[in-house]
Amino acid sequence: MVKMSLDLVQVMSGKVKELQVSPSSNGNTEGSREEKEEFEQNQLSPAAKPKPVTGRRVRKVEGGVFFPKPENAVTIAVSSRVLFRTEREQKVFEQKGVEEYLRYQIEHENEPFSPGPAFPFVKALEAVNTRLRELYPQSEELFDIVLVTYNHAHVGIRLINTINHHNLFIERFCMTGGSSPIGYLKAWHTNLYLSADAEKVREALAEGIAAATMFMPEKLTEVSESQLRVAFDGDAVLFSDESERIFKAHGLDKFFEHERENEDTLLDHGPLKGFLEALGKLQKKFYAKGQRLDCPIRTYLVTARSAASSGIRALKTLRAWGLEIDEALFLAGAPKGPMLEKIRPHIYFDDQMFHVEGAAEMGTIAAHVPYGVAQKSNQQKTSMGK
Amino acid sequence: MVSMVQNQDVQQKDLDHAVVVAVTSRALFESETEEDDGPAYRGGVAFPLLQALQRVNEHLLEKDPTESLLFDVVLMTTDRQQQQQSSGFMSSTRHHGLEVSRFCFSSEEDFVESLLKNNIHVFVTTDENEAFQANQKGVLSLLLDENSASCPSEQLRVLFCENSIIRPGSGPTSSSREAAQTFSSQLGKMRQKLETSHSPLCFTLVTLHGGKDRCCGALKALRSVGVSVDEAYCLAGAPRSPILSLLRPHFLLSDGCSGSED
Repeated sequence: MVKMSLDLVQVMSGKVKELQVSPSSNGNTEGSREEKEEFEQNQLSPAAKPKPVTGRRVRKVEGGVFFPKPENAVTIAVSSRVLFRTEREQKVFEQKGVEEYLRYQIEHENEPFSPGPAFPFVKALEAVNTRLRELYPQSEELFDIVLVTYNHAHVGIRLINTINHHNLFIERFCMTGGSSPIGYLKAWHTNLYLSADAEKVREALAEGIAAATMFMPEKLTEVSESQLRVAFDGDAVLFSDESERIFKAHGLDKFFEHERENEDTLLDHGPLKGFLEALGKLQKKFYAKGQRLDCPIRTYLVTARSAASSGIRALKTLRAWGLEIDEALFLAGAPKGPMLEKIRPHIYFDDQMFHVEGAAEMGTIAAHVPYGVAQKSNQQKTSMGK
Repeated sequence: MVSMVQNQDVQQKDLDHAVVVAVTSRALFESETEEDDGPAYRGGVAFPLLQALQRVNEHLLEKDPTESLLFDVVLMTTDRQQQQQSSGFMSSTRHHGLEVSRFCFSSEEDFVESLLKNNIHVFVTTDENEAFQANQKGVLSLLLDENSASCPSEQLRVLFCENSIIRPGSGPTSSSREAAQTFSSQLGKMRQKLETSHSPLCFTLVTLHGGKDRCCGALKALRSVGVSVDEAYCLAGAPRSPILSLLRPHFLLSDGCSGSED
């Protein structure tokens, strides 16, 4: 196992300056910020009033809170079942049906849900936003978190109460009341969609939206509150699954041969490449202000490839794409669990349930990307619940 | 001169309890097509709306055959020229099997009067001026355009749109706001009688500005007037068109949300 850093500068993990994230701020920026909003003429809704007006640019102050435009921000859509723990409610739904489920939710409206697997990730996103706002007060290049759930709006008040209880800065949401959220994901220019429902995630991937299914690990190890750490598997996550196909069809030797022969051919991109790119763009904003050593975003590649051989192609591909990854860990087939346990990412993306489960057993928050050839052999439902 | 004719093919509704929707013939039929399309006019932009209204009625009656809280549709002509095509409208209605219970023939001068006289709860038209005039007199008006033609016909979608930034002088009149509230609570009662999932009637809330607390307030306010919302979207300043184009509402009840973004 070789640990390689693509950065010229060696960064010691854990030596990140502790941030003051004030619990009552709820994402409010200091002082009053002006909200720049650009409005277009709305042609589409049937109007109760006649006479549309031509669009004009308006600057508005909205209680000092700054809402970025979806296409400028890095939009993360999370479902209610991964942001919070809703197992009890799920059971009510499965056993007693939708009417009883909604009644239960309304009855418990003032009881906040407890944090789910995506909760630490979202908190870390907010920490990054705070740092970004300090450096670039007018910029819309921030993380924008949208709650996208196909839950019924009857659950809305409980969800909002919960968001307030935990002091999360989530001001945008879509409760689709049962219809597919995919259209809304596109409308929000979603960069990453996290859900408990593998079907929805597959749909999103098919539409070209980075997506992953999240699971609640049995134990939750502590993760950093000041530095966002995102770990990726290589094949079928950042890269396409072409090499995995060779491995599956012809075995390890053929895989090595293929990689050697094609060392200088770039790998095709995988579903999470765009998200890594988005993270890289935000990282560069910190570098531009001399904060490379102190960057609150850190990315990791955790791959079964080996550094001396098949890993080279992965590195060359990343370099050609202009993507920097902070730490690349080539495990040469060794189990990923222990390494991930050391890294403590807020989220780890892998296309193989075997690895996701292994990581979760050791307390890592892992997300499954149901993409590529590995899915065809993985028919059984995970026992970890949805 | 206003005249009202009952459609003998359709069972008349209990006007004390029904929600009366008047649709103009121009909105319902394409009566000005060049070619002769046979025995009937083709459906216009209000066609899916009518089908959706019918579907709600069907479901309500399935649950309770004696149900009186139903949609009552009146086909209305609003000018003299349209009056002359009256027989064409009546036969087209029959041809398409539309549940229009009454035909109302009036002119530009007196159509608003007939709206008021016949206790019309919602007036549906493609004419801006007509909608404006009706609104001024406190009749809830719905202005349709070509996008309405692509609204679903299996589900009546009602959108409550909350815009906290209201331009002065552009909000609804107090009487039409009252009409909107009456309409909302009638719909709310209808919704309660229908199933939660896959209902033929769907309420959506969209808050354009402000964050989750404003949305929460809106959810609670609607709940207090008997409207339980099925879908909710809190935009917090994001551009509305992409979301609204997915929602495809038939009825948009708003606080100054209609028309352009502001």
